[in-house]
Amino acid sequence: MFSWIIELILSGLPEWLWPAVAGVGIIIYCFAGIVGNFPAFKPYAFFIKPLGFLIFVLGVFMFGGAGVTAIYQAQVDEMKAKIAKAEDESKSANSNLQTKIVTKTKVIHDRQVVVQEKIKEVQKQIDAECKLDPAVPKILNDAARNPLKVAK
Amino acid sequence: MKKIMALLFVIGLTGCSSTMVAPGPKQSWPDTPPDLKIACDDLALVDENTAQLSEVLKVVTANYSQYYACKDKVDNWLEWYATQQKIYNSVK
Repeated sequence: MFSWIIELILSGLPEWLWPAVAGVGIIIYCFAGIVGNFPAFKPYAFFIKPLGFLIFVLGVFMFGGAGVTAIYQAQVDEMKAKIAKAEDESKSANSNLQTKIVTKTKVIHDRQVVVQEKIKEVQKQIDAECKLDPAVPKILNDAARNPLKVAK
Repeated sequence: MKKIMALLFVIGLTGCSSTMVAPGPKQSWPDTPPDLKIACDDLALVDENTAQLSEVLKVVTANYSQYYACKDKVDNWLEWYATQQKIYNSVK
């Protein structure tokens, strides 16, 4: 989490900054080397020289880190684009499936309507020639009931 | 002094192996068509006091339709799963 916060802050910095910091570190280091030749400035150079070197190291470190982060960021961006494409495909597939479901549901419903109409047409004929035993509806209902619900 | 400088160089170069990785993007769970989220109804029952075959026939044929509607739902779930799995696996 902490590294991610640092990452967010650092990602806003320009690319040239860390090489520049390293360059400034080298300049300070060289400057301290030159100034150190003068006896009056020698004590200052003693402190400035390591400081310049530290600034150089910091610049190199951060430049390396920024380069790696840029590579990761490019991979993340690529993955985001792939995911966005996949999500579009997924929505499109769902939309197509929904259309198919509606069509097939209508076919099943229409078929049922036709069958019910046919039964109505011959209802009197069927009922006139056949009398049901009272056990028939009971057995039929027993078979139609969900055995998993009955077992509870 | 030379050892310290060498050490600092090494520290400087470790920046190249920085592991500050941004959290990767997450793929959201695919949605399903609304009709697939509706459970299948129970089968219709016959009025147990009826003696008419036509009434039984109506219920039985309605139950056939019910079966095909539910079968279609299962088939659609299978199709949805296969399609979404294919899309999900394409993201690598």
